[in-house]
Amino acid sequence: MPAVTPLEAEYREWLVTRLSGYLRRPENDINVCIPFSEYGMDSVAALSLFGDIEDAFGLYLEPTVAWDYPTIEALARFLVRAGKDGEL
Amino acid sequence: MLSRLNDTPCSGDPAQGPQAAEGPHAAEGPQTARGPQAAQESQAYGATPDPGCADLDAGELRIRERVAAFEGLLGDPRDAGNPFGNAALLEADERGELPAEAERALAGFRLNDEFVPRELGGNLDRIDGLARVLRPLFRRDASLGLGYGVTSFLAAIAVWAAGDEAQRNWTAELLRDGGRLAIAYHELAHGNDFVRNEFSARPDGSGGYLLDGRKDVINNAGRAEGLVLFCLTAPPGQRGPRSHSVLLVDTAGLPEDRWSVTDRYRTVGVRGCQVAGFSFERCRVPGSALVGRQGGGVETALRSFQITRSVVPGMVLGGADTALRTVVRFATSRELYRRSVLDIPHAQATVASAFTDLLVCDSICLAATRAVHLLPEQTSVYAAAVKYLVPKLLQDACYNLSIVLGANFYVRDGDYGVFQKHVRDLPMVSLGHAGSAACQATIIPQLPRLARRSWGQGTPAPEALFRTGGGLPPLDTDRLVLAAEDDALVASLLAAVDRLEGPAEAGAELAPVRALLRALVAELNRVREECLALGPHDRTAMASPHAYALADRYTLLLAGSACVNVWLAQRQGGGAGGDGAGFLADPRWVVAALTRVCRHLGLALPEEADEHSEWMLAEVLCRYHEGRSFDLYDTPLAGPLVVDEPAAARH
Amino acid sequence: MVTTPRRVVPAELDWPLPHPSWELGARLDRELGDPADDAGVHSYRESLRLDEGEEFPAEQLAALDLWGLAEYYVPAQYGGRLTDYQDLSQLIRMLARRDLTVAIAHGKTFLGAAPVFLSGDHAAARRLARLVRRGARVSLGLTERTHGSDILAGELTAENHGDGLRLNGEKWLINNATRGRLLSLLTRTSPTGGPRGFSLVLVDKDELPEGTYRHLPKLRTLGIRGADISGVVLQDAPVGADAVVGGLGGGAELVLRTLQVTRTLCPALSLGAADHALRLAVGFAQERELYGRTLAELPLTRHTLAGAYADLLLCEALNTVAVRSIHALSSELGVTAAVAKYLVPSVVDDIVAELGALLGARSFLADHYAHGRYQKLARDHRIVGIFDGNTMVNLYSLVVQFRALARSFLAPADHRPRLASLFDLERRLPEFDPAQLVLVSRYGSSIMGTLPAAVRALRAEAADRPALARAAALAEEVHRAAHELHERIATCTSTVGDAAPSSFEDARRYSLCFAGAAALGLWLHSHRAAESGPTGELWRDGLWLEAVLDRVLRRQALGGPARRSAPATGGATEADLSERLEARLIEQYQQGSLFSLLPCPVAEGPVSC
Repeated sequence: MPAVTPLEAEYREWLVTRLSGYLRRPENDINVCIPFSEYGMDSVAALSLFGDIEDAFGLYLEPTVAWDYPTIEALARFLVRAGKDGEL
Repeated sequence: MLSRLNDTPCSGDPAQGPQAAEGPHAAEGPQTARGPQAAQESQAYGATPDPGCADLDAGELRIRERVAAFEGLLGDPRDAGNPFGNAALLEADERGELPAEAERALAGFRLNDEFVPRELGGNLDRIDGLARVLRPLFRRDASLGLGYGVTSFLAAIAVWAAGDEAQRNWTAELLRDGGRLAIAYHELAHGNDFVRNEFSARPDGSGGYLLDGRKDVINNAGRAEGLVLFCLTAPPGQRGPRSHSVLLVDTAGLPEDRWSVTDRYRTVGVRGCQVAGFSFERCRVPGSALVGRQGGGVETALRSFQITRSVVPGMVLGGADTALRTVVRFATSRELYRRSVLDIPHAQATVASAFTDLLVCDSICLAATRAVHLLPEQTSVYAAAVKYLVPKLLQDACYNLSIVLGANFYVRDGDYGVFQKHVRDLPMVSLGHAGSAACQATIIPQLPRLARRSWGQGTPAPEALFRTGGGLPPLDTDRLVLAAEDDALVASLLAAVDRLEGPAEAGAELAPVRALLRALVAELNRVREECLALGPHDRTAMASPHAYALADRYTLLLAGSACVNVWLAQRQGGGAGGDGAGFLADPRWVVAALTRVCRHLGLALPEEADEHSEWMLAEVLCRYHEGRSFDLYDTPLAGPLVVDEPAAARH
Repeated sequence: MVTTPRRVVPAELDWPLPHPSWELGARLDRELGDPADDAGVHSYRESLRLDEGEEFPAEQLAALDLWGLAEYYVPAQYGGRLTDYQDLSQLIRMLARRDLTVAIAHGKTFLGAAPVFLSGDHAAARRLARLVRRGARVSLGLTERTHGSDILAGELTAENHGDGLRLNGEKWLINNATRGRLLSLLTRTSPTGGPRGFSLVLVDKDELPEGTYRHLPKLRTLGIRGADISGVVLQDAPVGADAVVGGLGGGAELVLRTLQVTRTLCPALSLGAADHALRLAVGFAQERELYGRTLAELPLTRHTLAGAYADLLLCEALNTVAVRSIHALSSELGVTAAVAKYLVPSVVDDIVAELGALLGARSFLADHYAHGRYQKLARDHRIVGIFDGNTMVNLYSLVVQFRALARSFLAPADHRPRLASLFDLERRLPEFDPAQLVLVSRYGSSIMGTLPAAVRALRAEAADRPALARAAALAEEVHRAAHELHERIATCTSTVGDAAPSSFEDARRYSLCFAGAAALGLWLHSHRAAESGPTGELWRDGLWLEAVLDRVLRRQALGGPARRSAPATGGATEADLSERLEARLIEQYQQGSLFSLLPCPVAEGPVSC
């Protein structure tokens, strides 16, 4: 496993905060490796994540980004790459 | 949180253990049920046990035991072998029949006794009791409710109100022997404009009448031994309020070649009912058929309607109870997006709102049926109001519930098939002899007068009006008048406001009740202003849509008054069975109910408004699991305790 | 038929009114024959007979095949005649006004085939197109016995086996599951499921070995009793790898994108049902005598009829814009479709209930009044709000987009799609490109976004034409309501299923404001052209717009349309509006026209009076 870069950690932290708000769970309850769906975020709701990320980080993402990267870990790693490539 | 509620019996509700199905009550007190089976069953399903029993009068006890015995007879709706079970009744509905076995059981139970006054050997002495006794049957099947029994009552009431002794005795005997009466107030071409009835009974010159014409869409037309007919008795050209009469006809005495039963009408709801029509051609009946005075038909009809309109909505409520119960069963056993449907807040809110609406409906039903005894001079308005409002609220609630049921709403059989049957039945039992516009048309002409003379200075209703039980003065149909002079329900709304704004009820926890009542009073003032401004044309059939909207708003205000006063009566331990501490004494239900009323009125909700969805839902689930009714009476129902069925276990 | 001389059309307009799609619908209706003629295959009487016996309308469907209806299900690029979704919408609407069972039983093939046509898999699409054009029925298998609208809970699996896949499991409550030859099935291709764990598989039952599938019995349903609503069980059913459409794991996305299109077409069923209900109610009111007058003379009746007509026009305006947006604003169809699929069936359920009360006992009789047509349509229509995404599903899909919708409305981005062709009925629509469909609209709703400017434009027009003053005032009220709503939903934080009940109420209000915006756009861009046509009276002085905005605002009030007292602008104006509208309703009834913003004769022809 590659080490988590500072940028990736920032994304993770942001996602944890965001999710804890949506799910009304304490932040330390949220495991970055567990799929969003396990927390009760259904597929329709997951589609709304991309807009929040776009707004916060100025990225251009596909609405299905949380489908393709269904955990905080996977999504944060992807966002690092997305930031580098401009858009995917 | 919700799933935990499922596991624990609820607290703070009428003293009622989780073993409701084996309720301990009902063995005590006089045994009134006649059939051996009924007597036995009444021990199995208790009337609501409560500590207040001691001060119940005999009449109230009788009602409770009769309800319990009836519920016992009707049995578990989910038992496939039960003739009153969902499966049997759905099949009968498909076939368009009233199940013979069920009808025999009803006869064995002597259900018709409920429609016959006590002094004539029957059980009828309280109109609120009649609604309560019939409610379990409507909870199972409106076709049986109408087709076996209520139609006979609707007909008989004219005889009780205006018939002579011979007619009363004949009718009582007929019904007590299990016979039927059909009622024909209108024909299809004239609908609710029954004064323009073409069906005629002309004096034949030798003391009798000759019947001519058709009567359409008559329940039990082909199988009733007695007919109550509304006929034109004045010569042509002399049409007016005194031109019609009511006749009571023994079909056995009719010349066979002079009358016939027309083809059966198939209907989309109450499919089991035998709806047909009659055709008469110079068919002679004796003069003794005349009920009351010649020319007194319109008055007899209008007086009878005051009773039937008051009582039928309280029976029909049972169908909505089953609709709600069916949806709760669905919602607790199905998953959507990996959770129980009932974990979805929208579903929770829909279920809680439906329950609240049922309580609102039952409150106005309670007031209207008891008003027949306590405020007969004012019943003309209340009867029309309850007949207008209750079916409308129940149908709207069922529409919203159907959304929770999703595709299962559309399937006619299986676990939830009974829901669509009640949805088809409800509008039909509600229509009956008075559609909603006809009821509004009864209310509208009285509004300006009541607004001017009564609202703001009327006498509040006696507290007994709002008690969920307890004795009532005897029914006196002579005191039923065609137009009300006072409006005690509105006065009681204002009295409730005074009481809650006064020092006796100053608690901060009642602030939401006060805020909601203020909103209703503000609405009352607006309605009053607009009623005073109604023009003369608004008192006729040419009334403006605005006048109809006023009648609608007025009925909701009456419902609000009924809710808050039912609550107040319970709060001080009033109401037989109310111990001042049960569910109905809790301010939360009345806040929820008044909030619903304000919503239905389209009012801007005060900040304190609250539907208390979670709390109401917990009550729904508790009653659902323990098998108790979704109405003011919280009656134990037949059938085993409900255990949630997880989706995976179902097939 | 009333004919008005065509006006001189400026050259730059590509598609002068009367509208070809409405004309196409009228042609179908005419060629199916007068439904009141009891002898016809497509008669009301025959529909009632089939419904009573729960018989599949096989003969009717065969006749529609001969007519070539299936050609309109197949995109032109695959050899069919589907170039403009307005055509398909109007065809469905005209069928539905006669018999919803027939419309649904035939139209189901479009729902089943659409995912393949929209997938971009040209080989599969061409194969399927050939079959559909030859009359093969296709059905769409999403739901299972214990999972209703939650399509990602499905348990029917497709596992790799040799060169292809093997299917195991059951689909239930499927329209045409038994009679359909082909099935578009959503299958689980990853044991853990999830949004990428499902794939769409096109199964041709004719190619399955015997014993690998069986049908579940037809269900007894409340309405569309003749329809084949059944199920299918697959047992080691082998299909080739090319049966997977839209890629392995792409099923959920493909289905959701497809549903955006089909949900936009479903409201046509409701429009047809509403026409049928209103036609029966007007006829009844005119012939029925009460208190010495016809029912139609009573003010309450006129008000009820005018209200139902206004509601119908509200639905038509919204649906017209929604269907045009399939072409002109595909990227936002996720929002638009949810609004239309929720609002139109719900409003039409209300129309059916209100008019049913007017008909009284006749609305319940199974054969005595007008063959019992009313009770059939009332039962039938309830399916429209249930299938293809029910009310809860549609409102929920709006709720999860609230923050994005609010953001784009309150602080519009630079993104400005070209919307002229969307609202202008005389402009040809761009070709539909399925690749433009996205699951969530990136820029909220541009249709809602037109509201502020549209209100200004209407106010400007009203400055010269006082007759438009009330419509302009109502439009401002809608705008105010929309603004408040967006401010409220901007703070909505819940993205998970726990959407508060109040947010569903907000979604309902959102849909109403959206319908107001759509109506406003449609009137502003099309009224000049439409005013000179046969339905010009409806458009002149903003008549229908005023009525529709009035209904939008009444429905915003919680108690529903009947409960509100006269709106602030005054009772006299309101009564006047009701009367002017009712006059148009009666005129369309007498002329034998579809109750519509645009001219479209119905096969019954004019009513003789």
